Amino acid sequence: MGPDISHHPLAGADGSATISSNLYSVLAAVNGPIEVQRRDELPEEAAIEVNIRPASGVGGPRERWLESVVTAVLRSVLLVHMHPRTLIQVTLQLTTGPTLKLKNATRDISVLPSLVNAAFLALVDGGLPLQSTVTAVLLAVSGEEVISIDPAEKELAGCKSVHALAYTQHGDLLLNESAGNFNLEVWEEVADRAEKACVAAVALASEDDEMANGTAEAAPWLRRELEEKARDAVAWRDHT
Amino acid sequence: MANGSPTAPGISFPRQTFAKLTPGPFLHAHLKQQEPIRASGRSPEDFRKPNINTGSLTHSNGSAVVRVGDTAIVCGVRAEILLASDIPHPPRDDLHEDDLVEDLGLLVPNLELSTGCSPAHLPGSAPGTLAQSLSYRILSLINASNLVRPSDLAVLYTEPQTEDDTPAEEASKVTKAYWTLYIDILCIALDGNPFDAAWAAVIAALQNTLLPKAWWDPDREAVLCSPLAADARQLQLNDVPIASTFAVFSTASPLKRRNEFDSWILADPDSFEEDLCKESLTIVVASKKASCGGILRLEKTGGSVIGKVSMQQCVRMAEDRWSEWKAVMGG
Repeated sequence: MGPDISHHPLAGADGSATISSNLYSVLAAVNGPIEVQRRDELPEEAAIEVNIRPASGVGGPRERWLESVVTAVLRSVLLVHMHPRTLIQVTLQLTTGPTLKLKNATRDISVLPSLVNAAFLALVDGGLPLQSTVTAVLLAVSGEEVISIDPAEKELAGCKSVHALAYTQHGDLLLNESAGNFNLEVWEEVADRAEKACVAAVALASEDDEMANGTAEAAPWLRRELEEKARDAVAWRDHT
Repeated sequence: MANGSPTAPGISFPRQTFAKLTPGPFLHAHLKQQEPIRASGRSPEDFRKPNINTGSLTHSNGSAVVRVGDTAIVCGVRAEILLASDIPHPPRDDLHEDDLVEDLGLLVPNLELSTGCSPAHLPGSAPGTLAQSLSYRILSLINASNLVRPSDLAVLYTEPQTEDDTPAEEASKVTKAYWTLYIDILCIALDGNPFDAAWAAVIAALQNTLLPKAWWDPDREAVLCSPLAADARQLQLNDVPIASTFAVFSTASPLKRRNEFDSWILADPDSFEEDLCKESLTIVVASKKASCGGILRLEKTGGSVIGKVSMQQCVRMAEDRWSEWKAVMGG
């Protein structure tokens, strides 16, 4: 029921979070708004810098590409005009990855949802101004056109196409990375299921909904995490 | 006016000044007309006409120069021998043939932007994020689209039958070496949308590639090649995938209400439009065969304008563009 999340594991960063799913574990740290280099400075908005470190090695063109994708998503989520001429620095460290050998395209796309979710949780922890939530989800389509959300490693290894999508709480599509071989009808079904899962992750859940369909897809995991965080933040008031 | 003096004249700028001072409102003024038009005169769904010249580089096994508007990209393919004995971790026997090219790294692309192709890319500097990102996207697409059959790149050797083998047993064929293709892509002029042009240059250069006839000489224990052009064979591609990129110009802002904005999807953006558009979409389509839908890749980031409906329109435009490119490439 939602990935494993821990809040503020790093005391030195402005905001941090770890997220663990069945495939990847990511440690995210956010510093900002901080001083920006003169050459990167933007006069009317905050500059966003994302650094991705793989589980082993230092990272090369693959990580530069992932960084440009994550930066573009975060730019739609952060209120950049509130801190002009500053820098918001996000560092994403992958700690574990899948053990099976996957095709490179599958491996690249399967890491994106964990990176986006971790970055968002770290931004919330750091108290940065955000214009919307973002929830990312991974889907795999098998050879028989069976769509699975949050697939297991074996399903990923044998899939015909893999899709990473991210939506806001209103159902606006912020990120779509799809690779493999598929047609438009399959993609539309994938997009529908992804939208339902992402919107449900932050939706207001009533008791009846939970009893009716206790599926993992419908669980509002992000809302629960954020509510728990908010409760912990004001817990000091009850003790005084 | 009350005292009878004429109203002060409004300030008017020539086009170029308006474009330089406030590029966003300049483009917006063009697009918000009854018949939306872009600053370059194209309509939003018009792609630029492509132009391809192949075989112009004499020292490459294959080459192509692609011009799309003012964006010009040169691609050269150079083939080198990789001995099977030099492979540090030989591929497992259960590895599918389709994965061999990726596993051994037999197609090695590199895109170079630091050629002075635009004021933003000075020659001689190390590859920046954009160049690295484009190189990686091309590598990822080359491996995922199964362009080249590994058997076309293999140099086989039929081992001679020894006295122990029965005459009826078939002689075993062993792969002694592979052709590795180094694909160098140089951008000589950049006016927006380098990915589409670079990808088309890669496809055209690979189609143009001639591999010399190569065989394993057991006495010298080396691979020998025939210098005769008549013995060389053209590389055959499995498919011709084509990339189409779209940019989205939007007036949305977090300072306005969520639904209060106008947006236009611009096909094949030039550099002026790219600077003003945060959201972009790239669609790679190949030919439709049984059980294969034909869409190889969808990459959309940077905003929330393109949803399900716009995606349908863009896929249709990408399929039309595929037919246009295929006609130009003649493949």
